[in-house]
Amino acid sequence: MKSNRLAASLGAAFLLTASVSTAALAQAPVCSAPVKVLAQPRDGLTLLEDSKDEFKKLSGASFQIDYLNENDRRAKSRADASTVGNYNVYYVDEANVALFASSGWIAPLADYYPAEYDFADFDPGRQKVATYDGKVWFAPLTGGGDLMVYRKDVLEAAGIQPPKTLDELIADVAKLNDPDKGMYGIALRGARGSGANVWRWMPFFKAYGGKWFDGDKPAFNSDAAVKATETYLKLFKDSAPGTQTGSWDESTGAFLSGQVAILVESTPLSGMAVDPKTSQVVGKVGFLPPPSPLPGGGYGHGLAIGTKANQDDASKKCAGLFIAWATSKENEKRRLDAHQFGELNRTSILSSKEFADIYGADLGQALADTGKVTAVNFWQDPRWPDLGDRWGIILEELVTGTRTDIKGGLNELEAYADELVKKK
Amino acid sequence: MRRRSSLPVTFLVPTLAILLVLSMVPTLYAIVIALQNRELSTPSYSWVWFSNFADLFLDRRFLNAVWVSVKWEIVTVVATMVVAIGLGVLMFEVASPRLRNVYCLLFIIPVLLPRVSAAFVWKFAYHPLYGIATYPYRLVTGGLIFDPLSKASTALFAVASVDVWQWGLFFAVIVLKYLETLPPQPIEAARLDHAKRWQIHAYVTLPMLKAPLISLMFVKMIESLRSFDLIYVMTRGGPGVATETLDMYAFSQGFIESGKVSYASAMAVLMMIATVITFTMLWKRVQA
Repeated sequence: MKSNRLAASLGAAFLLTASVSTAALAQAPVCSAPVKVLAQPRDGLTLLEDSKDEFKKLSGASFQIDYLNENDRRAKSRADASTVGNYNVYYVDEANVALFASSGWIAPLADYYPAEYDFADFDPGRQKVATYDGKVWFAPLTGGGDLMVYRKDVLEAAGIQPPKTLDELIADVAKLNDPDKGMYGIALRGARGSGANVWRWMPFFKAYGGKWFDGDKPAFNSDAAVKATETYLKLFKDSAPGTQTGSWDESTGAFLSGQVAILVESTPLSGMAVDPKTSQVVGKVGFLPPPSPLPGGGYGHGLAIGTKANQDDASKKCAGLFIAWATSKENEKRRLDAHQFGELNRTSILSSKEFADIYGADLGQALADTGKVTAVNFWQDPRWPDLGDRWGIILEELVTGTRTDIKGGLNELEAYADELVKKK
Repeated sequence: MRRRSSLPVTFLVPTLAILLVLSMVPTLYAIVIALQNRELSTPSYSWVWFSNFADLFLDRRFLNAVWVSVKWEIVTVVATMVVAIGLGVLMFEVASPRLRNVYCLLFIIPVLLPRVSAAFVWKFAYHPLYGIATYPYRLVTGGLIFDPLSKASTALFAVASVDVWQWGLFFAVIVLKYLETLPPQPIEAARLDHAKRWQIHAYVTLPMLKAPLISLMFVKMIESLRSFDLIYVMTRGGPGVATETLDMYAFSQGFIESGKVSYASAMAVLMMIATVITFTMLWKRVQA
């Protein structure tokens, strides 16, 4: 009897202890230290910093975001992820996700992304860009394709219809270029980089039928690449000052300050163009898909879990929770309320009535139309940044006139590509 | 006696040991890496010995970077010294002691600015449409566009002018202070001999300051070798490769483009050897 009582008491004590531990475990904070994030400046991330307390309440720790501009962020994250691993979360993009994933610098996101945050709600195109080798690696912060953004008033005054083909675009840009009146036909990107000048050049390359590789054999040294480069250089003659060594900031800045008639750029520009806080051309802007046969440059940027700084499963879960929270429907709704067009990625938000009320039916239609011609223009391979950046330097030399031999530049790139292939 | 002779050793050995570790460990590590084929994207590597060095001499960008570095060194050092001596002498000759102090304060401000901040400020100043530095050109030509950072012929000089703005003005203050510490007798003697002002400086004061001016020049030569931050912010080595110095190209190969850390280390090692040889030769020549 005594032993029965003892056993019962011990059992009760065990159950009590177990239930208390389970309860304690359920309430245990997911994060034990602040989450360190390396990113590039985004309005959405700045807005996120206003809700630090919310994340602290959710996870038990805060977060710290270090910002570097796009090229610096790429260089720094590559150096950090491959050596010391100071950051729990990296901002990655379509151009370097293959390199980061194949090098083991980031962890597959799906394993640590809480199901309740509904990853499937992200725009399917962006999910595709975030996927490499059959696994999802980042949750999108921005993404999309290209839109042709043009000044309706300037085109009307010149009696020109918005161009529908590439040939029309080339002809219209020359007609609209009037530097004496402070109006430039177009704004392109001249600064080196796979995500800079090469990014804007690639639609021309693809439009003329170019392709990067045929199996393991470089195939880009072709008439298509020569013609694409010639067209790019021709258009650059009418590109706004400062863009020859500039990138996204310079070309969109020139358009938003009212100096450019037409440009084909990534979709976030359209949101900036209708926002009085960033644009001096509100109400004068039209949107259409890129002139045929230019494909849009499909892209996506987002947050991924670093492996070096997150050695154990618990810290990976913490990083995963941060990414899920940062890209959640609630936070995306806050971005919509703040009119941060370029920071919207979820279908539930993009198809909402509130979105249509803010941005109008025209832009919605243009976005839907451009989705049909959006494509992945770059070489989806870990060696892409290496090859793309090398072409970026040669292209910058061509744009700024420090070299003139297009074919010589392509030959040089092909020799470099052969080396890259041999190293695989 | 014995206690006296051991004191310098007691103080010097730990200091030199720390210095040796701090300077030799990274140097030796750089040499070791330069003999391998390490890349950031893969943990595996092998010994390739002098292959990286051989490749460098076939690399057009490396050869261009050597030439750009030489140009950069000459332009910035010569221009800095000319500005420093010119302004220093001018202040000494025409400004009252109180005004000199005001100038000194103003001339020190640029060098106190972090290099990256100075680079950003001037990058915007050189903007072809809004820049204050390009405004006079637009005004004179009736609105023509001049974009100094996107032209190969002007980009290096545009960036070098920022370096000279920071260091030339600072060195002018030092030159003024040197001039103020000179004994007045030789200058007065020259005046009694009816020497003109420029002759006094060309034949009396500046020759008297030869040693400190050479030291200043050496400081600037070393400083000019570390111009990476300025060039990185203002041009990233562009347009094309027109301002790509050796340190810029090494960083580019190591961390921006291809992650070839061994190739970048080989460049750093060659740069170190070239610097040591050049500076030793110059130092010996100056001392002779």
